[in-house]
Amino acid sequence: MGRRAGRCGFPAGAGHHGLVPGAEVRVSGLTHAYPTRHGPLVVLDDIEVEIPSGGYVSLVGSSGAGKSTLLSLIGGLEAAQQGVVEVGNRSLAGLSRDGLAAFRCATVGFVFQHFGLLDALTAAENIDVACSLAGLPRRERRRRTTELLAAVGLAERADHRPRELSGGERQRVAIARALANRPRLVLADEPTGNLDDDSTARVIGLLESMPADHGCTLVLVTHDRALAARAPLRLQLRDARLEPAA
Amino acid sequence: MSWRDAIALAATSVRRSLGRAALTVSAVALAAALLTALLTIAGTARTRVLDQLSKGGPLSGIQVAAAAPDPGEIDQDDPKPGRAKILDDAALERIADLPEVRYALPVVASRLFVISPTKMRTREVEPFVETAVGVDLRQLPRLPISVIAGRAPSPRSMTEVAVTEAWLERYGLDRTQAASVLGTEIEAGAGRTDAEADTGDGERRRRVIRGRWMRLQVVGVVAQEAGSGSMLVSLPLARASREWSASGIDGGDAVGLSPSPYAGVLVAADSLDSIGRVRDRIGDVGYSTSSPENLIASVRRYLQVVEIVLTAIGVIALAVAGLGITNALLAAVRERRREIGVLKAIGARDRDVLRIFLVEATCLGLLGGVIGAALGYVAARSVGAVVNGYLQDQGLVGVRPTVPTVVILSVIAGSAVLALIGGALPALRAARLPAREAVGGS
Repeated sequence: MGRRAGRCGFPAGAGHHGLVPGAEVRVSGLTHAYPTRHGPLVVLDDIEVEIPSGGYVSLVGSSGAGKSTLLSLIGGLEAAQQGVVEVGNRSLAGLSRDGLAAFRCATVGFVFQHFGLLDALTAAENIDVACSLAGLPRRERRRRTTELLAAVGLAERADHRPRELSGGERQRVAIARALANRPRLVLADEPTGNLDDDSTARVIGLLESMPADHGCTLVLVTHDRALAARAPLRLQLRDARLEPAA
Repeated sequence: MSWRDAIALAATSVRRSLGRAALTVSAVALAAALLTALLTIAGTARTRVLDQLSKGGPLSGIQVAAAAPDPGEIDQDDPKPGRAKILDDAALERIADLPEVRYALPVVASRLFVISPTKMRTREVEPFVETAVGVDLRQLPRLPISVIAGRAPSPRSMTEVAVTEAWLERYGLDRTQAASVLGTEIEAGAGRTDAEADTGDGERRRRVIRGRWMRLQVVGVVAQEAGSGSMLVSLPLARASREWSASGIDGGDAVGLSPSPYAGVLVAADSLDSIGRVRDRIGDVGYSTSSPENLIASVRRYLQVVEIVLTAIGVIALAVAGLGITNALLAAVRERRREIGVLKAIGARDRDVLRIFLVEATCLGLLGGVIGAALGYVAARSVGAVVNGYLQDQGLVGVRPTVPTVVILSVIAGSAVLALIGGALPALRAARLPAREAVGGS
């Protein structure tokens, strides 16, 4: 008898020690523009990039260069206007809003600069919401939440609300939440932008361990060139074009 | 996302904006209270007015007279009866067995000589003859009798009587002084002609009438349409008096007793719609009928208009409160754009977000509806108490507003539905927000 599939398609109750292979990302001819009063503002122009399964890529660029937009397109937060985005050999083109939601739910974990935690929920509840959206059964949700909080060193803070946590702790909760659905691709949008040095080190440590510990592909957007330099593959956006970072 | 999770998230959202939620719920509660109170007051007024028209009896009540129908008076609410006709047990049975007849209750009338009590001689009132109407007082709620003061006589009492306003007028009293006659004692006697004696002038003969005297205590003042007479007594008392008078050598003719065993029959039709048909059938049996069906139908139409207007006022208030919910949720959507984006980024579908906001709106409406219905109930009772006090001061029958369960349930359900409708726009707007809001919008 096969396992009951969760809402996002991965087996509910899959062993937590099993590594999910990271998603290969292939972007080709990606062009994206935003309408303005003065005409379309092109933020991405004919972007070409391939990120191998389980790879770790850093992406730098000045403010407004289009880093977050590229991350949104790869993560299926919005549909590409022109070009191809493939994640795990699956094209995102033509996916409906529900299709993109299912893709995000099954494949992607997001970490935001603003943490993106729901203020009214505790740390554990924030992770539980992600588990619920992933379609995990209640008992499995409790187990996975506990496991993830322990993994980011916050087992003792499970019942604390975000405002009762430091910035670094909030971001660790956000990382734990990003892992709730066993993502094959983790997209971190300036995750250390609001953190002090100690917290940055701890958060980056957790993120950088993801490809090895969880088998997922990691894309890190940052302003911090020192952090970006730690990634094996370094890219930068300049004038809407993607190029290898110095 | 399951309903349980959606409810938990909606509850969390309400807790977070407790002040706004409280104001929104208050608006719904006030509107629901207004609607509940208006519906209750309208319902009570309607019942009171119709009750007054039917003197407390069934709205579908029909009075059958011991007389044949007058062909020229058909279709009148209160036709003039034709020639007198015996209304006996056989006729009663035939009427009771007619289709669409719910029940038929006989009315017995007896003629009594009355000697006023000393206490009541507020002005000179000579002994007089009055009709005592006897009905089965166990069926009081089914009879066209409203108690103005005191109570109705006990169903088997041979010593209690209730009097009408006509009786009060005889003593120069009005309705506001009804309580003053309670407890007074009347001497009343049923007359029987035992013999006729020769007066000696060769032509005229003198009747010898014997009275069967009773002491009756006035226990209540009533308005009654059961029969023509200002005294209401139990059926056994009326029967005994009548039999005494009828057993005389003239069958009661000397005291004005009708030869018909029953003075009338009170019939209730199955519904207001069937009154006309039942009256026709009773006419076919051979008896004249009367019923305020046309009057009641007209009054009901007017009352219905009043109810519609009052309900509309309440519904408009509720709709305004629904707009309040729309406004509050639109503000919430504006404030929570990023949060909604994050929910979508971690896998929430449009319908999940829609569900959260609809649940939130419904919860606010439901809570407001429950509180409002309770407040409305209290308000209706308070208004009822004030009106009751006024009516009783005026010597009228008081009112006791009752809040029908269907009104309470309808108001609560209506609040929830209106809230759901009010929450639809913000919920749709939230559901359509792009997931990109999670990274701060473009």
